Amino acid sequence: MPDWVGPVADYMAHEGLKNTARIAVFAVLGSTAVGIVLGTLMTLRFLPLQALIRLYIEVWRGLPIIVTIFLVYYALPTAPVIHHRFGVITGAVIGLGLWGSAQVAEATRGAVQSIPREQHEAAAALGFGWVGRHRSVILPQALRRLLPPLVSLLANVIQNTTIASLIGVPEILATGQRSIERLQFEPGAHSHNFAIYAAIMAAFFCISFPLTRLAIFLERRLV
Amino acid sequence: MTLLASFDWQFIWDHIPDFWDGLKATLKVAAIGIAGSLAIGITLGAARAHRIPVVSWLAAIYVEVIRNTPILVQIFFVAGALPHLPGHPIRLEPFTIAWLSVMIWGGAYNTENFRAGFEAVPYRYREAGLALGFSRFKTFLNVTLPIGGRIALPSSINTYISVLKNTSLLTAIGFAELTNTAYSLESISFKPTEVYFALGVTYLIVVWTLSALIRLVESRLAIPEQA
Repeated sequence: MPDWVGPVADYMAHEGLKNTARIAVFAVLGSTAVGIVLGTLMTLRFLPLQALIRLYIEVWRGLPIIVTIFLVYYALPTAPVIHHRFGVITGAVIGLGLWGSAQVAEATRGAVQSIPREQHEAAAALGFGWVGRHRSVILPQALRRLLPPLVSLLANVIQNTTIASLIGVPEILATGQRSIERLQFEPGAHSHNFAIYAAIMAAFFCISFPLTRLAIFLERRLV
Repeated sequence: MTLLASFDWQFIWDHIPDFWDGLKATLKVAAIGIAGSLAIGITLGAARAHRIPVVSWLAAIYVEVIRNTPILVQIFFVAGALPHLPGHPIRLEPFTIAWLSVMIWGGAYNTENFRAGFEAVPYRYREAGLALGFSRFKTFLNVTLPIGGRIALPSSINTYISVLKNTSLLTAIGFAELTNTAYSLESISFKPTEVYFALGVTYLIVVWTLSALIRLVESRLAIPEQA
């Protein structure tokens, strides 16, 4: 193996993979929490609330993720009233989280509505209020149906963390690209573009493929 | 009111022609990408559903590789790695890179959409076609495609909208589409709030209009008993 491979792999694994994982974990946890709450609230028969959540879902699902991240990272600091600058990683987490929470909210709404009405009625007959009914009876059942889309979301969010490289987060793609640039200046070096881009593809494939298989497996098992 | 007062509406108004130019490039690339992914989806989806040897296996590998790697990396691969392919460098025009990379992505997702659609056509329909003396190809054209294609329609629509949204990532290789136009405008005007607000609204108008239009077509094409 050529000498350059060791340091590049080291940099991509310790700096790049670490940042990719950090963004993906926070974005998925945030989207799951916000998405489940919004999706459950959407099943309430209260029109203004439903309309508001529908707007949230359609806006963040309609915008390309790169535009959402640019809005959060570039537009908010000079926005009237807000004037807040996020760090690059926080900006990426919020951008991906807005998109992810919209996806989870839509999936949750479907999962909650797929629980038979008798379950609601039985829980109500036992004296549960709306919150208790959802927390103890409806959501535990809906979560089983939600698990496959959540695993797919994790795979998608991991892939989309690459967009964070465009605002300067050194994740897997950016660390690979920086390595290509650095190696250009080594004496007697030839281009490493092809090898490193192929390695980036391979790295993402190895992370994502087991997750998409798991999602398919869970869908067959649980639904 | 302070919110509206400090927002420079005049700036957006003055730069509508720039946004329009970017939007035209976005729509052009998206149109080619969508048409191409439709063709790829029907061809490879049919090969997968009919288990045609070799083609079907290669299509499966293509689908898995594209679906499990980020589209941004795929764009950089076409733009930045292929020109350095050892022994056989491939250099493409920026416009070719643009439509090719979004088309390859959409084609992979569409192959799955159409495979599932064609496989959902009951086997006895195909048997009936063959029994009437249609060749396998004619049976596909007259039976499997019209029914399976319509079953695949809703999921393929989502793919087309994603293809349009994915063209925004071409800004990373400096292709002058809508997002890149906004990015350049921001770097000379230092008005990120106005520029990206206008950008977001433009995308929402385009994406929502496109989904409404396609759903209109879908309701016209839907299989009657399911409508």
